[in-house]
Amino acid sequence: MPRWRWWLIGMLVLAVAIAAGYFPVLKRNLRLSAQAPAKSEEQVRRELTQPAAANAGEPVGKAKLFWSSGARDGSLMAVTVDLPLPRDPVLRAKQVLNTLLAGPVDAELRTLPPDAVLLAFYLLPDGTGVADFSEALATATPSGIESEEMAVDSILRTLEANVPQVRWLKILVHGQEVDTLAGHLDLTRTFLVNARAVALPARPAAAGDSSKPAPSAASGPAPAKSPATGAKKSASPQKLTPANPPGKLAPTERKP
Amino acid sequence: MVLDPGHGGTDPGARGTGGIRESEVVVDFSAQTKTALEALGFQVVLTRQSTENPSFDDRSAIANAQRGAVFVTLHVASTGLPGTVRVYVMSDLPASSDTTGLIPWERAQAPFLPLSRRFGDLVQSFLSQRFKGSPRTAQVAAVRQLRTTAAPAIAVEVSSVAVDDRGQLDRMAPGVADAIARGASAFRPSYVVATNPGERP
Repeated sequence: MPRWRWWLIGMLVLAVAIAAGYFPVLKRNLRLSAQAPAKSEEQVRRELTQPAAANAGEPVGKAKLFWSSGARDGSLMAVTVDLPLPRDPVLRAKQVLNTLLAGPVDAELRTLPPDAVLLAFYLLPDGTGVADFSEALATATPSGIESEEMAVDSILRTLEANVPQVRWLKILVHGQEVDTLAGHLDLTRTFLVNARAVALPARPAAAGDSSKPAPSAASGPAPAKSPATGAKKSASPQKLTPANPPGKLAPTERKP
Repeated sequence: MVLDPGHGGTDPGARGTGGIRESEVVVDFSAQTKTALEALGFQVVLTRQSTENPSFDDRSAIANAQRGAVFVTLHVASTGLPGTVRVYVMSDLPASSDTTGLIPWERAQAPFLPLSRRFGDLVQSFLSQRFKGSPRTAQVAAVRQLRTTAAPAIAVEVSSVAVDDRGQLDRMAPGVADAIARGASAFRPSYVVATNPGERP
């Protein structure tokens, strides 16, 4: 037998021996990776939709977010969350709305579709906020007066609780005014968020201001006071929950 | 009485996993409500009777063309406690500054809000007696269909298309029809129709 064949056989035997030695290591690695928690779709989505404002430089504060109470009667409950809360009202609004969209731990308590994304948020000098959502807001919100009202009300109450500069809110879908959210609730109007909103400080016209869209109602906002918004005046004072690590949900607080 | 079965045509409205379609259910509810109202002497007009889908404005126009009309739009929710029914009236609309006495189409409901509220509370009180777990008073929401309706107007929403069996909803229809008819009957004495066109109620 030629010498090169001996060499070839020797190399093959050596390769098989190495592979046999490595096999238990490979098996152990496979077992470990199977045990490691895989990133859920929801987790990946949360990471992708984290607002740019959520950075370590911003002061962490308590944000009050409104999700479904789970009572199946259209009521919302306030949940206190520790979040980086920028002082800039636009960044702050983006932060709380993105967290609202990300949803509570219990997916059953969502008020907004998981696929919906906040595309942009603007704040006009008169206190009118303009929230532009992706099309999923309209296409994936369950059709019905109760479900649509709950979706919009959760947005309004979350903004009212966390961004005192927002007086009114106009909701756009992919940059456009739409007739209804999902067949029932009127989105051609501008909703009242907070009648006692803090006036924006006067500032010189900036380049960014000119790009802000004007609210569709040329004659000014037409308020739509939601039942929950009206009811909150008589509700008992909110309790703050103990401090938690940033981004963690505090115990829930039910609100009629 | 103008009865408006919501949705229709290519718009099925809410859809249940069991194949229940809001647009079909509300046609049956409207037919039974029509019968109950006619039994009490009301003249009833339907905005649609089968699979057509008039626009919001077309539906409102049917009510706005009548004198002394009362408008009820019927819906079935995707959510909510099954077996309950909620009545909605339009949330606040800014009063018109128009000095001509004409009511702007886009805010046609504005002058009728107090009447709508009264009518809604009456219907909701009858519904809450029949369907346990339903609210006792009408809710407020920015319902698109109500905004352009120049008449006392309410939306009635039944929960929900999420039930397993369509029969559960069908069994609610007589009770809903009866509550609307009794509410309309109780409301009638308090509804003073304007005598001149454009006059506010």
